[in-house]
This record gives sequence, C-alpha cells and structure tokens, in this order.
Amino acid sequence: MTIQILGTGCPKCRQLEANAREALASMSLEATVEKVTDLDAIMDMGVMMTPGLAVDGVVKSTAKVLGKDEIVRILQGGK
Amino acid sequence: MAECCCGSDNPISLLYACSGAANTGYLADNVARALASRGLGKMTCLAAVGAGLSGFVESAKGAGENLVIDGCPVACGRKVFENLGIPFRHFVTTDYGVEKGRTEITARLIDRTADSLAKELAHGCDCAAG
Repeated sequence: MTIQILGTGCPKCRQLEANAREALASMSLEATVEKVTDLDAIMDMGVMMTPGLAVDGVVKSTAKVLGKDEIVRILQGGK
Repeated sequence: MAECCCGSDNPISLLYACSGAANTGYLADNVARALASRGLGKMTCLAAVGAGLSGFVESAKGAGENLVIDGCPVACGRKVFENLGIPFRHFVTTDYGVEKGRTEITARLIDRTADSLAKELAHGCDCAAG
C-alpha cells in the first residue's frame, strides 16, 4: 500500500502526514508514505486544493487535514 | 495551479465549463476562462469530474463553490454534479441571449456574458441541491 501526501510542505501537509503515520501505526499496517510536492504532479491528479491524501493512487480527500481516525476509516475501506 | 489551503478557512471556487462542440460550448469555455482571469475561481475539468477521476471529484467536494457553466439546456454539467450529489451554482449561456448553432461567438460577446455572470456571482448563492 502506498499513501501519498499531496502538498508543497506547508504545516497542514506536515500535520496530515503525521496523522497518516499515526493511523498506520495504530493499525499495525505496513505502507509506504510518499510526499508529492511537485505542483504539476498534484494537478495531474486533479487536486486543486492541498493538502490531499491518496491511497494507491486514488485521491481520498483534498483541502483538509484528516484526523487519525478519519484516515483509519479510509484505510479500512470506508470513506 | 493547485491552491494551498494552509492558513485559509475559505476554500477556493472552482469553475467548470461545457466542453461541447457547439458555439455555446465554445462560449461557456471562454467565459469560464474570463472569470478565472478575473480571479473569480480556478478553472478545472468538467469532463474529468464526469469520468469520476478521484482527484477531480474530491476537489469538487472540497471547493468553496462549484460554478458550472453549461452551453445549452442539455445541461451535461448540471447532470454531472447532480449525479455525484455535489452542490453547485449553475449557469447556461443560452440564458444570456445566445442561440445554439447560430450566434457568432465574438470577444465582445464573451466579455459581455462574463460580465453578466460576474454580477450574478456577486449576489447571494442559490446553490443547486446536492
């Protein structure tokens, strides 16, 4: 599993990354967390507002800092 | 260009235009570009939302407002957003004195239609139900 944090590195992006790592740890889940900071790459994924979060290439949220529990729900297959 | 929401509690408005073949689609596209250049929103791809591409759909869900400009009453843009249940404001170029398949699309007409839409945008939101 690959989790992508989409954003240029602002505090909200960093918080989202931290929350994603916390969610993974709480689930004892192995995953690669990848930061995508290139704006062209972010735009190519259709993301108009950062921070965004994608799981295995599928964008799950934009423009918000998801909390740990929200990310857990996404990783469990919910939304 | 993607917008960083860092420090902002007001997500941007996104502009979507008809990509149809008729003169009205051409006008819708140009009006959306004119409104974007006036800073009234960021233009993004209606077709990608219709195709269900995740980033475009999630961006629409996270936008402050989705401004959908259809070319004609077939209203493909409106149906895309209705199908997804995402709130939007809707405009149709034929409501601005343009006749599908007949009216010549000039720079003046694009400006005039953009002016009209900009005035409506300045008024309150009457978002279509999502």
